[in-house]
Order: sequence, then C-alpha cells, then structure tokens
Amino acid sequence: MNFQLEIWRQDSRDQPGRFETKHVQDVDGEASFLEMLDTLNEDLVGKGSRSVAFDSDCREGICGMCSLVINGMPHGPNQVTTCQTYMRDFEDGSTIYVEPFRNNAFPVVRDLAVDRSAFDRIIESGGYVSVTTGPQPDPNSQPVTPEVHQTVMDAAICIGCGACVAACPNGAAMLFTGAKITHLNNLPQGQPERDERARNMVHQMDEEGFGGCTNFGECSRVCPQEIGIDVIGMLNREYRRASRTKKPSHPKKMVAQ
Amino acid sequence: MPAHDVLIIGAGLAGQRAALAAADAGASVAILSKVHPVRSHSVAAAGGINAAINPDDDWRSHAFDTVKGSDYLGDQDAIEIMCSEAPGEIMHLEHIGVTFHRNDTGHLDLRAFGGASMKRTAYVADITGQAILHVLYEQLMKYSDRVDRYEEWFNTSLLKDDSGRCVGCVARNIRTGEMRTFNAKSTILATGGVGQAFKPTTNGLICTGDGMSLAYRAGARLMDMEMIQYHPTTMTANGFLITEGARGEGAHLLNAAGERFMEKDAPNKMELASRDVVSRAEQREINEGRGTGPLKDSVLLDVTVVPKNRVLEALREIVNLGRDFAGIDITKEPIPVRPGQHYTMGGVKTDVNGETDVPGLYAAGEVACVSVHGGNRLGANSLLDTLIFGKRSGQHAAAVAGEMQMPKVSDAQLRDDTRHIQDIINRPKTGRRISEIKEELGVSMNQYCAVFRDEEGMTKGKEIVTRLQEEAKTAYIDDAGTVFNQDVLGALELGFMLDCSEAIVTAALERKESRGAHSRTDYTERNDEDWLFHLTVSQDGEGADAPAKLDKAPITFTQWEPMERTY
Ligand SMILES: Cc1cc2nc3c(=O)[nH]c(=O)nc-3n(C[C@H](O)[C@H](O)[C@H](O)COP(=O)(O)OP(=O)(O)OC[C@H]3O[C@@H](n4cnc5c(N)ncnc54)[C@H](O)[C@@H]3O)c2cc1C
Ligand code: FES
Repeated sequence: MNFQLEIWRQDSRDQPGRFETKHVQDVDGEASFLEMLDTLNEDLVGKGSRSVAFDSDCREGICGMCSLVINGMPHGPNQVTTCQTYMRDFEDGSTIYVEPFRNNAFPVVRDLAVDRSAFDRIIESGGYVSVTTGPQPDPNSQPVTPEVHQTVMDAAICIGCGACVAACPNGAAMLFTGAKITHLNNLPQGQPERDERARNMVHQMDEEGFGGCTNFGECSRVCPQEIGIDVIGMLNREYRRASRTKKPSHPKKMVAQ
Repeated sequence: MPAHDVLIIGAGLAGQRAALAAADAGASVAILSKVHPVRSHSVAAAGGINAAINPDDDWRSHAFDTVKGSDYLGDQDAIEIMCSEAPGEIMHLEHIGVTFHRNDTGHLDLRAFGGASMKRTAYVADITGQAILHVLYEQLMKYSDRVDRYEEWFNTSLLKDDSGRCVGCVARNIRTGEMRTFNAKSTILATGGVGQAFKPTTNGLICTGDGMSLAYRAGARLMDMEMIQYHPTTMTANGFLITEGARGEGAHLLNAAGERFMEKDAPNKMELASRDVVSRAEQREINEGRGTGPLKDSVLLDVTVVPKNRVLEALREIVNLGRDFAGIDITKEPIPVRPGQHYTMGGVKTDVNGETDVPGLYAAGEVACVSVHGGNRLGANSLLDTLIFGKRSGQHAAAVAGEMQMPKVSDAQLRDDTRHIQDIINRPKTGRRISEIKEELGVSMNQYCAVFRDEEGMTKGKEIVTRLQEEAKTAYIDDAGTVFNQDVLGALELGFMLDCSEAIVTAALERKESRGAHSRTDYTERNDEDWLFHLTVSQDGEGADAPAKLDKAPITFTQWEPMERTY
C-alpha cells in the first residue's frame, strides 16, 4: 500500500508548527500505524533528516502513551489506541493527516508528542484515597457488591491517554475526571474525602484551562477503553452534592519537572 | 543542584512503592523516570499478584511453591520475607483503592496460576498492573510536598564519591536536553528488566536494562543473569503476551494433532506447571514437528473451553488483543501461541533490604536479583517482588539517610556524560545504524539464549555480542537537537542492552547444567553437586571496556532441601 502523509512538525513548544508531506511506499497492510511511522523514521534517518517524534511504549493498548490524531480522529478511525490501529484500515493511495492531540492544556513538546501533565495535577488535587494510619480493615469486612464492583472497574480501566480531551470540541477533561471520581467515590475506602475530592478535582480541571462539557459525547466515542458517558453524570452529581456542603480548599500545588 | 535524602530512578511499581515508603518514613524524595510514571512497563502486567490470603492457605505453602519454582536457586530467606509480607501488602493496596476482583458475595476472589498449589492470585480483571500503578501514582500525588517528580528524565550514570559511596546520578531532561547532577544520600534503582535485548519480547520499548548496566559500571555484581524467562503463551502473530490467567481460568494447550501434550510433562498440574516446564514442552512439540500454523512454529491455546461469560468478565483485555491483533475471536477458536522472552530473573545482586554491593545504592523490582525467583519466576510473583522489596528498599534507604549528612558530589561526571552525548551526535555517518545493531542483537539473543541452549550456539551468541559492542562505538544517529532527541537515548540504551547481554551469555555459557529456565541440550540434567550456587558477573576493572568477571555466590537455604521437581 502507498500513502501520502501530512505530518505535523514542530521543533519545540514555542516554535510554530507546520504540516510536512511525506510519502510512504510498499506498506504492509498488517503493519500497525506506529510501525509504519518507525519505517518512515528509519528512512528519514537514512537520508540524514530528523525523525518524527511521537510517544509510544507498550504498543499493546495498555500504557496510554501513544497519542496521535489521525485524519482528525484521536487514535484514528477505530475506537482503539493509536498503537492498535492498522494500515489495512486506510484506503490505499489516500492522504493521511497526522497531528498531535490538540488542546490548550496539552502543549506540544515536539512534533507529535504532547505534555499531558495537566492530568497529573487534576489527580494531585484530590484523586486519591488518603487514609493511611491505623490498622487496615480486612477487605472482606467491607464487601463490594458485583454491581458496584462492575461500575468501579468500568471506570478504573482508564489509561489516561487523553483522547477524550483531544476529541472534545470544548477540550473538556470531564470523562477522565469523571472516571477517577466514579472509581474512588463508589468504593468504601473513598468515602471520607468524597466531597472534597469532587470539589478539588473539578476546580483543578478549570484551573488547567480545560473546557466545560456540553454533552457532545465525542469523548466516550473515541475512548479506547470504552468508558461510558455516565461517568460524567456521576461527576456532576458528586460535584453538586459536594457544593452543598463546603467551599473548596486547595492543597498546595507541586510541580512535576 | 537538586539534593534529596532518597533518589529513586524508575517509577514503575518498584520505584513508586519505594518512593511512598521513603516518604512515609519522613524522607525527602526525588523520583526520576524516562517516561511518565503511569506509562512504566508495570502497566502491562495482566494476570495478578500472589498472596496467601485465603483462610485455607499459608504463606509457607506460597514460599515452598516459589522455592520449587525457582528450581532451588532462590534464596529462601528472601522468599520467606516476600511471601509472609504479601497478605499485608494486598490489604494495603485494597485500602488505597485498588479494585481487586470480588466474587458474587462481594468478597475478594482469587485465581489459579502456574506452579501454585492453590488459588492465590489476586487480580483486577486482566489489567492488574495498570490498576495498581494508577492507584500508587495517586498516592504519590498525595505526597507531592515531600516527593519531587522528575518525569521524562533519562539517567545516564551513577555518581560515586571518593569513599566509593553512591551519592546520586546524572540525568538528561528529555524535553529540553538539559543535563543535571542529582545529589542524594541514598539512591534506589528501579528501572525494570532488559527484554528489549531479545526480539521478539513481551516487554515494552523502554525495557532496556539501563539500571543493570549502570550498577554494573558502578562496580556492583549482577546475579543469575543466565536465567531468562520465556513465557509459554505469546501470540505468534506479534509476540504479545496472553496472560497465564487464561490457563488459570482453564484454557488448554494443544499441538497440531489436537493433543493436550502437557499430559506428558506435568500429569497433575497440566497447563499450570511452572513456566519453564510449559515453555520447554511447547518448544519440544514445535521442534519435533507437531507445531501448527504455516511454519509449524506454534501450538494452540484453546480458551473456548472456558465459559464465555467468565472470559468476558475476567479476560477481557485478551479478547481485545485477539480481535485487534490477530483477527481471532478467542471465545470461538483457539489462538496460535509460542514461547516468547518475558522476564529477567537475574539483575543487580541485593540483600533483603535492597542494598547492593555499592554502599548507598539500592535496587528493587525486575532490575534487582534478591534472589526470590532463582531459576524460574512463578507467574504473579513479580508484581509482589516489586512491591515488597520496593517498600523495604525505600524504608531502609530513608532510615540510613536520616542518620547522615548530604554527601558531596563533583561535576566531573556531568561533564563526561555531556561530552559523551556530544561525541555520539558528532559521529561520522560511516558506521552502522543504532536500529540495525539493536535488531541483530535481539534476533541473536533470541536464537542462542532461548528456551533450549548449547555450547556451540551460545559461543556464537557471545561472539556476536562482542562484535556488536565494537560496532556500537561508531554507530551514528541523525538528530543533533536537544529537544526530545529520542535518537540519543536510543544510542545510550543500546550500550546498556549490550552490557546486559554480555552478562547473560557469559553466565549462561558458564553454567554447565540445566536448571530452571536455563535448559541446555548438552547438559540436560540439574546437577546439585557441582552447580548449587548463584553465578555473579562483575566488571573486571574500571572503564567501559573492562571484561566480565564470573564468581560464585552461595544460595541461602532455610527450610527446604533440594528435591526433584515434578508437576
Ligand atoms: C506483558 C507483561 C505482563 C506481565 N504480567 C505480570 C503479572 O500478571 N504478574 C506479575 O507478577 N508480573 C507480571 N509481569 C512482570 C512485571 O510486570 C514486571 O516484572 C514488573 O512490573 C517490573 O516492575 P518494575 O517496577 O521493576 O519496572 P518497570 O515497571 O519496568 O519500570 C521501570 C521504570 O524505570 C524507568 N527507567 C528505566 N530506565 C531509566 C533511565 N535510564 N532513566 C530514568 N528512568 C528509567 C522507566 O521509566 C520506568 O518508570 C508482566 C510483564 C509483562 C511484560
Ligand atoms: S503505546 Fe501503549 S497504549 Fe499505545
């Protein structure tokens, strides 16, 4: 298969970017999208030009590192991670646009690699269980019903890739934050800080410059882990409940370097 | 210059657990990782984590299974510690929000795993590593006032002072190219394994043995390096892992004739024998012409015998893997698999507190060799290893740091490393490419240091590694930039992998017997009389070119004498 690629190149965060045209020939349909880029990079290096920077690690859809917008869709045409996208899914001879995940809160590091530390700061604001002292109760003394367990699991499965943000016309991080809240606020261990968590995480989401949700549902449609839009409902409920109780208190912020 | 009580290199499960333990003990902590912490390779762990939490179970039984699984090469004092501390650690994880699978009554559920005498693997569907890693990361956030995170920083060397103590490291900021010296009272390596020296492997691109090589260069001994685990079920299509949980749920292994060949090798445990045993059986079937597929290079994993609703509930990730990567619905048809490189049992030699030969330097997780896995690691014991010894290293390092002044460091190493990187960038484009050398290394290691080994093959393997080490010195890259220069990192990682490969082949050639994962066709039996000890490899002298030196180290026995191993 042959393709024309329009690839976003940007030397660093502060420099302007541009699309560059590259041609790839004799691509195996069974090659993954990232393998195709590996081959392109080999080629570029062979010719003495700079390879295209992009993120990836596990290449089996679990680490959440790969992050391309392919033909306008975060992670490409199918609802899987970029590393699980195959060349057979594209029409032979077509032009493919490759861009980084775009959002004000995710600045480009180089080419197709972006900085997603805004997500970390959302977690830092309260996305954890903080009870650490005292004897730990046997988990079996706090049974979790299969229904609750399923709800929690369906949210805890988030890999933090950020496709939800890249897909949202408003650049909202509600699916990500909703998944965290659904995970922790449904568990017995997560109860003590339930309200504070919802308040602080929502506040941090705003601080980072993520937009608000207006119910397009794009986030859930591109989520490779198929996290349902209902986690946003849960987030809204938890936030409303929390707002009735107390004003936000913001823990000290710390910078990842 | 950043200065901390405890510096942790690596932010997988071992590194994060160490950071939390050190912070809990009141230390100031820096944790440095070449990728964002939740992308660390621990995220890929699927099947689960072992602990004797069932009321009918006992940690001694877990310990015995581990000793037997190790083919009596594991150190029994360390194994006892790991297994006895396991239940408490699971409780702790559950407590901070890990959603371990619950059964219909809402209580913790356990699954069967290879080499275990009863069900003792706690799991989160088949995303156990991801679930634990994300929750630990949340905890790390909680300590953000005490833990400084250096994400996307690449460690280039360890620092030692005049007394030989490790006093920190030098690292490169991947995003900007800035080089920095990190000063610390104690340094913990938690950099994971070296799977990328093999091709194919189930390990991610970042598993390049950096820490093993760094410690080796700093004078520490590596131990049990000949013990490389081949996992029995990696997809023939692309080398991806299918968790042992599949066999734990009851899946069968079949040869071309449809026979459950494990009957011959492990009449009792069948598919759930130790991994070395199952991988050998599969390889034998393939070598003797009973393999399936166009190249007859596979056997079949039949998941269709597991009830479909159970597959969808407990193995959902591999249903997706089969569908996306092999175009197979595993609930309807068997999937071709074969043994594939998976885990490094060996690593930097440590004691039960994670201390290495170099004062002030600790190691924990896959980079370390305590040794709890000996000749063969049991499935679901590795996550446990990372957590227990990560925790212990963190605690010990913090305690030591509490009693000392910040040691002095000089900038000499920083200048050396900066110059070295510039040299790599300036190399003329006449040598080989990094990626070519890496490819040849991977293919060769997989050919000569695989499930079955012999003198002739390993000698060839060693020659190749030696030649590649030479070629790597002139291998060139193209990116001369500072921002996100992945080529420079690739060149450094290649050097790390070559060090580790040298240690692997050297030790493997030396051990003239078959034990655990080290199975020789020219010495087919285990020989306790002559080989019941660990092999260590260290650098003979200083400098990158120093040859490898072999030594023996005793195995610690507490309660279990070596016996014949049957499953
Ligand atoms: C596919 C797969 C499935 C598995 N399933 C299971 C299972 O079910 N149960 C089980 O017990 N075990 C399992 N294992 C094994 C287990 O996952 C690993 O052994 C374990 O997670 C290793 O953890 P770690 O913390 O030692 O290292 P890793 O998680 O690999 O982390 C290494 C860290 O070091 C950092 N690092 C490395 N080099 C540098 C450098 N030069 N500079 C800075 N940072 C660096 C990395 O960024 C990373 O943060 C599985 C392994 C694989 C590959
Ligand atoms: S590279 Fe890990 S999810 Fe794609």
